[in-house]
Order: sequence, then structure tokens, then C-alpha cells
Amino acid sequence: MFVKTIHLLTKQYVQFQVITPEVEKIVAESGIREGMVTVLTKHTTTGVTVNEALECLESDMQNALALFAPEDRPYSHARMLRDYGSTAGNPTGHLKAMLTGNHCHFLIQDGVLQRGGAQDVYFCEFDGPASRNVLVIVEGQ
Amino acid sequence: MTIDIHVHPAFYAPINEDPAREELRHRELDIHKNGTAPLEHIFNQMRCAGLDRLCLLPEDYSSSVGCLVENEEIRRLVDLAPDKFIGFAGVDPRDPAACEKLEDAFSRLKLKGLKLHPGRHHVMPSDPMMEPIYDICEKYNKPILFHAGLSWEPDTLTSYCQPLAFETVAAKHPRLRICLAHFGWPWVRETAMLMVKYPNVYTDTGALYFDNAKEFYTQMLTRDIPTTWIDRSLRHQVMFGSNNPRFEQIRMAQAIRELGFRESTLELIMGGNAIEFLGGLD
Repeated sequence: MFVKTIHLLTKQYVQFQVITPEVEKIVAESGIREGMVTVLTKHTTTGVTVNEALECLESDMQNALALFAPEDRPYSHARMLRDYGSTAGNPTGHLKAMLTGNHCHFLIQDGVLQRGGAQDVYFCEFDGPASRNVLVIVEGQ
Repeated sequence: MTIDIHVHPAFYAPINEDPAREELRHRELDIHKNGTAPLEHIFNQMRCAGLDRLCLLPEDYSSSVGCLVENEEIRRLVDLAPDKFIGFAGVDPRDPAACEKLEDAFSRLKLKGLKLHPGRHHVMPSDPMMEPIYDICEKYNKPILFHAGLSWEPDTLTSYCQPLAFETVAAKHPRLRICLAHFGWPWVRETAMLMVKYPNVYTDTGALYFDNAKEFYTQMLTRDIPTTWIDRSLRHQVMFGSNNPRFEQIRMAQAIRELGFRESTLELIMGGNAIEFLGGLD
């Protein structure tokens, strides 16, 4: 198994960032010819999803998720958290992350990531700006 | 010009090279799981919050657990981004070297004001031991930002921080600008009372102990006291402060802007009053 971390410093409250080139680079670096790659975010207010990398779709994704988790709802998570010593103001981030999921998988054949022509890997920020870490786990031989 | 008058840089990356020191800060400030923040992240956060400047506050508890953020560290951070940061000094009044440190902070380090936490220092603001400190601030025309109201930090006693505890200081030192931070929460009316009586008393909005920013500010600034009290009478004495990283700078800045103040009042709260409190930005 070959594991590397992608470090990201996001700049917006909600941000969709294509990380396909970074994932492909790590797969190549791993030397694994046949196997699987998992891209896994280490955070609970971020997601990893696969979609077509188009500005219009990013806008639609953002709007659709905001319909599901609008900012001005009375969320239970809006409270002081003793474990953090700070206030939790990010319930919408947690809920949006639940929808996108926290990981994706791709097949590796002949050392190449097998993705469809329209498929890109997105890191999804739902509580930015923030410092984020994404694991890329390459398994196989 | 928009300013956050109340920011704690304890977890800024440039002053957290030593993991033991970072751990001490997590423990003694009771702020956890936040990691350290590179300045690039702080600048991103400022941009999202619509803020031009942050006022960085140290924490000097020399007589108990130590100095958590030193004046020299504040100076170092300001020097890294002088167009974005304003530095305050800190002293522990129980430290025998407090006055000497404060003179140095104002004369050599050129810090713009003093941060004090009576609840953590366990010293009443009206205690005679405070007078030499107030005299130095008046001599240099520097304001004092006092912690007021509830403090989440360990070993803090709220009785030292009730707004009324500051009245003697406000009355005895009419030329000394003082900020009762956090709106003195939960004693918001008492803070308002002191401000309407004493023009040298300011406050900041760094409170978010329940609910989300919009809900808490709606309670604190439209129900505990009506919006009109600020918009008509206290508009030159309320400053935006987030108390970041305890509280959420971006959502608090957005919530303040949505409370329904006059645009001119909002400009004062978001920066104009801080410039007056600081005695200018230069």
C-alpha cells in the first residue's frame, strides 16, 4: 500500500477544487500497475466527489447543496462545544459533507487511473477557508 | 477600513514552532482541535469576513501559568504583515516587572494598546496596584482592552469582570479609553449603562456563547438591548470584535452586517470606532 497526503489551503467558504492531477501524480509515483486508489478526506465538513469539471456544474452543485442545508435554519449543532472550547457554527458543512461522501475509488490498470472522459476528482470545501488534508491510498501490485 | 479589534493569535504558525508551547496554549486557553494557522489562511479568512485589519492580543499570565503570547511575539507577527495587523501589549499586574514591561512595549515595541484580563489575573480593575499601569497608558495615550463578562479560559473568575467593576476606572480616568470586551456578556445592559454615562468606555462584539452568530447577535443586540440604543446613542462606542479563534470571525462579521443598523453606524462599528479607540492607525 502506498499512501500520500495532499495538503490544501482552501480560500472560500464553499469551494470545489479539482485534484485529479495530484491524484494521478501520486498513482504514478506509487509504481503500482494493477490495483485501486482511494481518495479520502480527513475532515467532516469537506467531501470528495467525482463529477465533470465545469464552472456551471460547480455553481449548480453549490446551489443544490445549499437548498438541502440552507444557512438560516435552526440547527442543533449551533452551540458551544466543550471539547473544542469554541462555538460550532458549521452544521451546514457537516450536512453537505454527508451528501457528497468523504471518498472515491478508481481502478488502476497498467499504472493508469481508469476514469471516464468527463470524470474528475473534486475536493469539496464546505466550511472554509481552512487548512485541509486528503489521503490518497494506492493499493495493488 | 474594517477592523476586528479582538483577535487572539495564539495559534498563528509563525509563533508556534515549539510543539510544547503550542500544547501549553491549547491547555491554558482551553481551545482544542484547531491546529495552527499559516498566515496565508488568516488572510483568506480576513478576505471572506471583509476585514482589512486585525488587532492581535497577547496573553500574559506570568504570575500563574506563564506568558502564553508575549509582546515580542506580537511585534514579530505585526512585522510580518504591518498592513494587516495591529499589535497590543500584555502584562500581568501581579508581575513585579509589569510596569517596566509596559513601558518597553509602548516605547520600544510600539504596540498600540494594552490587553488585560482581570478574571485571569484575579485582580479587581479598581485595585490600587492597577494605578501605575493606568498612568503609563495615559502617559502614552494608549487604550486598554479589558476582558469583561464571562470568560471560557480556565482559572477565571467572572466576579472580577462584571461591567460594574470597571466603573471606578472609567470615572477616575476620563482620558483613558477602555474597552469592556465581549459586550460584558451576559451583563449587556450594564455595559450599555456605562457607555451612555462614560464616553471613554467602549465595547466589542466578541461574544457567541449560544446558538449561531445571527441568532446570538439578534438576542444580544436587538432584544437584550434594543438596536436603537446602539444606532442612536452608543454608535461611537461599539467595535466589531470576534474573539477569534474562540468564535467565528466570518459568520460574526456577516451577522453584524445583517442586524439592521444604519449604514453609517455599521461603518463605525466595523472600523471607525476602532480607529478612534486606538487613537489613530499610525
